[in-house]
Amino acid sequence: MSMTNAPEVEQPEEPTNRPAPSYRIREWLSRPYARHFLVLFIIFTVVIMPSAWLVLHFMNQSGGPASAIMGEIEKTIFVFTFVSAPLMAMALAILLYSLLGRDWGGKVHGEEPPMQESPAIRTNGTAVILWIAATSLLAGFLVIWGMMELATITANSYGSTAPNQQPSDVKPIDINVTGAQWVWNFQYPDQQGIQSDTLVVPVNTPLYFNVTSVDVIHSFWVVELGIKIDANPGAVTNTGVTPTKLGTFNIRCAELCGMHHAYMQTKIQVVSQADYENWVRVMGGAKTS
Amino acid sequence: MSVMTKDIHEQTAVPQPKQHGKPGGFLRHTNIFTGVITGLVLAIITFAIGSKIVPWGNQNVDFDQIGFQALIGVTYIAWVIGFMAGIGAFAGPIRWVLGHDLTHADAEYMAGKGQGKFRYWKYTTDHKVVGIQYLIMTLVLFGLGGFLAMLIRTELGITWAEVFTPNFYNSIIGTHGIVMIIAMIIVVAGPLGNFIMPIMIGARDMAFPRLNALSFWLLFAAVPPLVSNLLLGGIRDGWTVYEPLGSQSPVGMIGYQICIIVFAFSTGIASVNLITTALTMRARGMSWNRVPIFVIGIISAAIMGLVWFPMFQYSQILALSDRMLATSFFNPLMGGSVWLYENLFWLLGHPEVYVVVIPGTAALIELMTVFLRKPLFSYKMAIAGFAGITGISAIVWVHHMYMTGWAPSAGYPFMLSTELISIPFGFLVLVMLGTMWRGKPWTRLPMMCVYAVIWNKIIGGITGVYLSDVPVDQYMHGSMFVVAHFHFMLMGAGLFAAIGAISYWFPKMTGRMLNERIASIGFWVAFFAFQLTFMSMFVAGLQGMPRRVLQFDNAFNISNWLSTIGAYCIGIGMVIFLFAIITSWRNGKPAPANPWGAKTLEWQTSTPVPLENFPVLPVVTSDPYGYGVPDPYESVEKKMAEADQPVGAGAR
Repeated sequence: MSMTNAPEVEQPEEPTNRPAPSYRIREWLSRPYARHFLVLFIIFTVVIMPSAWLVLHFMNQSGGPASAIMGEIEKTIFVFTFVSAPLMAMALAILLYSLLGRDWGGKVHGEEPPMQESPAIRTNGTAVILWIAATSLLAGFLVIWGMMELATITANSYGSTAPNQQPSDVKPIDINVTGAQWVWNFQYPDQQGIQSDTLVVPVNTPLYFNVTSVDVIHSFWVVELGIKIDANPGAVTNTGVTPTKLGTFNIRCAELCGMHHAYMQTKIQVVSQADYENWVRVMGGAKTS
Repeated sequence: MSVMTKDIHEQTAVPQPKQHGKPGGFLRHTNIFTGVITGLVLAIITFAIGSKIVPWGNQNVDFDQIGFQALIGVTYIAWVIGFMAGIGAFAGPIRWVLGHDLTHADAEYMAGKGQGKFRYWKYTTDHKVVGIQYLIMTLVLFGLGGFLAMLIRTELGITWAEVFTPNFYNSIIGTHGIVMIIAMIIVVAGPLGNFIMPIMIGARDMAFPRLNALSFWLLFAAVPPLVSNLLLGGIRDGWTVYEPLGSQSPVGMIGYQICIIVFAFSTGIASVNLITTALTMRARGMSWNRVPIFVIGIISAAIMGLVWFPMFQYSQILALSDRMLATSFFNPLMGGSVWLYENLFWLLGHPEVYVVVIPGTAALIELMTVFLRKPLFSYKMAIAGFAGITGISAIVWVHHMYMTGWAPSAGYPFMLSTELISIPFGFLVLVMLGTMWRGKPWTRLPMMCVYAVIWNKIIGGITGVYLSDVPVDQYMHGSMFVVAHFHFMLMGAGLFAAIGAISYWFPKMTGRMLNERIASIGFWVAFFAFQLTFMSMFVAGLQGMPRRVLQFDNAFNISNWLSTIGAYCIGIGMVIFLFAIITSWRNGKPAPANPWGAKTLEWQTSTPVPLENFPVLPVVTSDPYGYGVPDPYESVEKKMAEADQPVGAGAR
């Protein structure tokens, strides 16, 4: 590549032999290897980018996001896949170009070290600086994106209002979640403490979970709603979510908790407000206020 | 590298200790067999006496009997002490205390002089013997861990039935995990760090040869307690053995804890030895600008191991004390904290990943210059990358605990630090890609490992970025996605790099050429099967399959079937590779001193390497990357710029 690492010249009147940047870029682009690399790079980028949709397809196989939190999570995964595609494409392009560039069937494959040597490129200031700048910008973007998303889903979970959302005036339903080997128990303190081993909740109403355990660590994972929090013995952890879709979704234990860990799963039924009040009455609780 | 030789100055007379009896003394009678017998005898005696003493029936809070736990723990400790005594580990210190310090002849005997093949079975201090011992040990551990992996995949592939009881299944996933972790930690730093690194820097041996032997035989003593857990009820808790589930496991868990405690001593001793050797024993002229990059990688892995392994060791000491003495460090019912355990565990747990990946990566960077016939691209960026990873690895451990509910707001700073570490990691990628840039590879097996590892590292790295992000981790944590991700990093980037490194240095270590035709078949079968196995595991994770389960929804069936088929094929590939290693080792073609035309020092000495490595110590005058010819394009550009003044003149 064209990068001479000469320091800045202090006196502008002295002529230098350093070519103009635009000329250097044009000259670099005229080299065959640079063109081949760029073609491979673009092809790989175009090929890899659709994998972002593939990832979402697999995540949505059990029905798609059932809450705003899960929607944010899927958006984040989509964006991350999209922005890492060029980086992956670049690495693959260099990889493939290096493999294709060898003399097929020549001495290169033989038993003896090849006589023909490659260009002795010790370092390249421009490439190093561009790389550091690009990876730092990318990492910075990912961190900032992640923090904003984290703020959003935290706000969604804990009932406060995210900067970009309308405040909610619905009172959240408290639910005490207790993990035990190897069952989940759900208690509704607002409804005279009725208990259930499946979760029945109304749609579009914030839920607030107080999660704990009576023996070992479990992890309360409501898959399609995108929330997960460990159930720790001797401590109460909190999370929350507002389900936005009617249906029956999975609750799984996501932390190894002993013999029947695999079977420690149950369902969450998201039903309409009327059905929910009906269910509460059947279970023996009071009518919701 | 141009090597100048120089006569060593004559030794000044130093008072030498007096020789008592034949060289070696007591050590003439000790070997692995006396070690095992002494260990077993001491363990049995301890168990017999102890069972008369311990207060039976003293009930722990809710589980096993304290007395029995303590008895098993003490028995394991007796095995370790007995084994180390029986193999002669204490002979040196005892003779020093008694005033009969080792003479030069004793030291030469301990280094294996004139003992033929039998020196591999003894407390031998020669770094080359220790390196080979580590290599064999690693292969055995991989065999065991791989067999357990096949059992796991069998269970998960047979989706319509429980093949194993749940408790046994949980035991094999835990044992598979920790056996593989131990094997991966030592696979490059053990055999190659001990065998190759001292020769590479032009030293005659490691800085502390006796500590070198000690570190290996401590590792050897640590493995039987771990494996015996399968007979004593298993560890049933994954390799992380989170408390308080760990305290529900039967006494097999003590084997795990003793293993980790002893292994941490072994790692610490080995790390000190490697660091001291690299810092103080480099050949004359090998300044820090001329050190081969593999040495830098070993130093940075050794630093991380030395600093962070005590955390893991301490967590296991406290957990063992909870078991044997009914203390309550991690028992929440008695004021303990489960989060304390998780923190102590992951303080090692994450740097450990870099301890695994860094030496292999450094070895690949080292060898790719040889096969591309190009100098290393941006040597200083490589050093910056290793230094950055070593530093930042200390402050990322909480990303394993995003979903534990411990300090939810810690998600912000640890998301920052975790994604920051991708920048120094990117330096290493830049070095690899830059070295590959416009190079024509000599396509031998070690070079093909470089391509395979870069591919795996890209996949593992990008999925790692997903997991470092708290919102995404909220979905992925504890799912099969995580399992696939860390297998891509530890196996895809770690093990395949180790395969490349071992096949690169195989001629030097064994004196024979590797049969690359067979080894390549095994390697490529394993590589493509690896993609099938863990790509479909990614899919299972995205679909929402939790890890460490033995039964699951039918929705995950297809990806698990594919994954199991792939895993069997990995097994077949690895067996083929192992077959190539064994047959080549026994009757391969004798290797020349420098089959690759490499410029580092270890290839400049004869094969097989003589006892003190070099007849005359080398003097280094340049770095070992002087490959290549001047870049044709660079000179064309210069000519154009000089001839065509108007084009360039307007620039500045």
